[in-house]
Amino acid sequence: MENTQLGQIPTTAAGRGQAAIDEVDLTPVRTYWQLARQRFMQHRLAVVGLVIMATLVTAAIVIPVLTGNLFGKTSLSLANHPPSLLNPFAPLGYDSIGINIFLRLAKALQTSLFVGFSAVSIIVVVGITVGALAGYFGGAIDNLLMRFVDLVLSLPSFFIIVMMVALFGTGNAIVVIVAIGVVGWTTAARLVRGEFLSLREADFVQAARALGAGDGRIVVRHMLPAALAPVIVAATLGIADSVVVEATLSFLGFGIQPPEASLGNMLTNAQEFFYRNPMLIMYPGITLVLVVLAASFLGDGLRDALDPRQRVKG
Amino acid sequence: MSSQTWPDGAAIEPFGAHAGAPRSDALDGKVLVRVEHVVKHFPIRGGLLGVTLIGAVRAVDDVSFEVRRGETLGLVGESGCGKTTLGKVILRLIPATSGQVYVDDRPLFDLDATQLKEARRDLQVVFQDPYASLNPRMTVGEIVGEGPLVHGLTDKAKREELVRELLAKVGLNQSHIHRYPHEFSGGQRQRIGIARALALNPEFIVCDEPVSALDVSIQSQVLNLLDDLQQELGLTYLFIAHNLAVVEHISDRVGVMYLGKLVELADVDPLYADPKHPYTVALLSAVPEPDPRRRKKRLVLKGDVPSPAAPPPGCRFHTRCWLREQLGDPERCETEEPAFRDVGAGHLVACHFSEEVTPQAIASAAERQLPVLGA
Amino acid sequence: MSVDRSDQPLLQIKDLRTYFYTQDGTVKAVDGVSYQIGDGRTVGVVGESGCGKSITALSVMRLIEQPGRIVEGSILLRGRDLLKVDDAEMRDIRGNQISMIFQEPMTSLNPVYTCGDQISEAVSLHEAVGRRDAWQRAVDMLRLVGIPDPGRRAKQYPHELSGGMRQRVMIAMALSTNPELLIADEPTTALDVTIQAQILELMKSLRERNRMAIMLITHDLGVIAEMADDVVVMYAGQVVEQSDADTVFEKPHHPYTTGLLASIPRLGEKRQRLEVIQGVVPNPLNLPKGCLFKRRCPYAMPVCDTPPPLQEIARGHVSRCWLTPAGEPPAVGPEATGELAEAAAASLQVMA
Repeated sequence: MENTQLGQIPTTAAGRGQAAIDEVDLTPVRTYWQLARQRFMQHRLAVVGLVIMATLVTAAIVIPVLTGNLFGKTSLSLANHPPSLLNPFAPLGYDSIGINIFLRLAKALQTSLFVGFSAVSIIVVVGITVGALAGYFGGAIDNLLMRFVDLVLSLPSFFIIVMMVALFGTGNAIVVIVAIGVVGWTTAARLVRGEFLSLREADFVQAARALGAGDGRIVVRHMLPAALAPVIVAATLGIADSVVVEATLSFLGFGIQPPEASLGNMLTNAQEFFYRNPMLIMYPGITLVLVVLAASFLGDGLRDALDPRQRVKG
Repeated sequence: MSSQTWPDGAAIEPFGAHAGAPRSDALDGKVLVRVEHVVKHFPIRGGLLGVTLIGAVRAVDDVSFEVRRGETLGLVGESGCGKTTLGKVILRLIPATSGQVYVDDRPLFDLDATQLKEARRDLQVVFQDPYASLNPRMTVGEIVGEGPLVHGLTDKAKREELVRELLAKVGLNQSHIHRYPHEFSGGQRQRIGIARALALNPEFIVCDEPVSALDVSIQSQVLNLLDDLQQELGLTYLFIAHNLAVVEHISDRVGVMYLGKLVELADVDPLYADPKHPYTVALLSAVPEPDPRRRKKRLVLKGDVPSPAAPPPGCRFHTRCWLREQLGDPERCETEEPAFRDVGAGHLVACHFSEEVTPQAIASAAERQLPVLGA
Repeated sequence: MSVDRSDQPLLQIKDLRTYFYTQDGTVKAVDGVSYQIGDGRTVGVVGESGCGKSITALSVMRLIEQPGRIVEGSILLRGRDLLKVDDAEMRDIRGNQISMIFQEPMTSLNPVYTCGDQISEAVSLHEAVGRRDAWQRAVDMLRLVGIPDPGRRAKQYPHELSGGMRQRVMIAMALSTNPELLIADEPTTALDVTIQAQILELMKSLRERNRMAIMLITHDLGVIAEMADDVVVMYAGQVVEQSDADTVFEKPHHPYTTGLLASIPRLGEKRQRLEVIQGVVPNPLNLPKGCLFKRRCPYAMPVCDTPPPLQEIARGHVSRCWLTPAGEPPAVGPEATGELAEAAAASLQVMA
């Protein structure tokens, strides 16, 4: 029972030292991330995306580890052998030179995801750095960096990637990763810069400055966490993008070459057999589609979940 | 509180070190903050690359005043007058275009990074928006404890002890320490902001519209709190607000700003009872009184506030000035900027014809107003 | 019951309940609100955030969207229940007989249309006039609300005008169809005090000229005192006090009203300390049972756990409180709770 008091209208108000005059919500303490997770879970498509992505990533890690080099083992006696219940280790059958499609697909997925995630890491790191510097310091630095961003954006990104790969070594996954990263950081940079520019004037940032906090602390402790949300979203969507770019490169022959496996070069090989064994195209194709869809749904869900909605005023 | 020291060896003064500092009537009159000819222009850039300077928003245009130890100086004005910008410039949160601010006779704008950080312990701020002034991703304990942390109080336990004491002082339950800002109401968040400002045991606090965003029934709680804290801790306030009644209640002296300039500065009672600048008169006349019997004949200013990027020449108020109209549009108002002068007993005004501001003049101007509707 | 001089009031709100069904629970934004507005009268609805004053207005205009819903009650416009008319008829009434202006003119005006266009649109939606006539009317309205050089201003976009001017444009738009009732939701809160004075004077002149009734919603007691004939005080979704302005300001009964009036600083009255209403507005998802104000009320008694009746304090003055008109603990006994109190309340009841 709430306490009631009899008495006159109090003539003085004690501002200090009292036990709770104010009431506290008895709701449990929920951090921003916990609330975000709750919002995310309400998004069915996003959860689906998460599940698919998790499955793909797990498969991409576990299967190649378990089977080692088996993905490259050819066996002409098994060429074009369709999947059969007698052979549970080849649920997708064998291709024209007797390679176990399932194993090769898993390996290809691993490569593609590895390239995708790594490239995105570069994008995120470079993007955040450039964006934070430009947004925090503003003025001439901002101008300079943004003109640099404009420069990078004005170059046709795909051709730059192809050029870099051709120059520095086709078939080298690292080169592909760096090339994609170097060309793709601009969006993240702009997002972070935008957030920083607006956060710079936010009251809580000014308050931190008034307390004597240095630039480093303000950027890392106050501004970055707030700017992270759009970057996370961009990164997730960037994975889809990078995987497609890698697949395209490999498909065209600039990226990963056989016997290394990539979703792209599986598609290249499958081209010749379009009429005889169309499934050879379907498997890597569908996998690619799944990766892109999963990343997209995930990205959308994250965007809604991390969107800092204002608390509705009482 | 146990005896603790900042890294530079200075003792962390326990609360109440400045206590007993008397309020307005028995002030020792020593100046704590002196603002001298502060100017802040925001450049407007245009041109092809966006670098050419094509104009400036003259947010604060040569403002000078003093704030005495232990007093509350109120600063009023409407939007575009520059009071919020001035508050931020005084705290060196944004760089001034020119001028100087002396805190305890030390020039604030000349301090290097280390000295500035030390000086910041004495200069704090309470912001207007209780929803934007607290980092939503930090707990109350982290927010209030950030100041001491930044200044070297790395011991977590001691910091928590300090935070608990501060929360109690502002009337919050100590269990709030692990909660997040979004779980509190506007008034409580404002109290958290005040606790944060007190954490470094400052001498001077700039209160930038601290109650404007709060519900009416909460405003008085927070105002009383600020009052109590001032008495208990010997604080000095620069109280920036647009609500004239609130400013009258809490201030010892009040300054009125218009378009970047200080147009009047006086002790609170003389300023409200007997204003000497036509703008102040209009401001006071415009405030609606919560008393239906006292519906007065208002002095309504015509037109809008001019843009601070293009302030009128001479006296900035002349385009809307009722006194000028009454005196037959003297040219002086258009050509000569009035000096900020003492018209008696420390009452400062920037008006050429301040002597003409009499109750009779005001009454007749109110009578002679044109009908409100056009056509 | 407001002091009502016409036999059928212009607007009668009866036992209105508007609830919001949110994920966290049901918010009873408006819970049993009744008041009326007579012809040409200005009713000031005052209260703080969460009291439901704006939601009431939106309910009258039938502008409540999901997850909100008008659950019960009736809104009679000259006897016609607005909650029962169909959408087309409501659109006809909206902007025509009842107009509304809002707090933030920048977000209420469409930024991609000129001011003149927006006013003409309002006119042509409700009257069969040609484009040129509608435009002329728009210019006339702008002139009427005191905008200098209205012909030029009509061709300008909202962002080219100052806050005060935009509010005038809003008023012009609202008045272009000569409504009988103007709902003004915090019309001057976002404006500077000198501009506010201009707008209030304008509204006073216009209501006199048009014989217009106004529902003035605000939290500013000064504005209420300036403009209102009758005052409705709301708290947490309910009406807690209601009377003509003089009575509410001079002889308030409900402790919330008294507390509010005592706690605001007033020009010319310098006090040492302000009176305070302790506590905070209750969380709408966690309302106390009984009187919603009891946790903050200095007079709270055990009987306050039973919802207090809306008592008639004097002719035309009601208050939702257990205290007698003289301010004493209630006749039913301050310790009385539950059924006893409810039965007594039923006998005292004036309005539901």
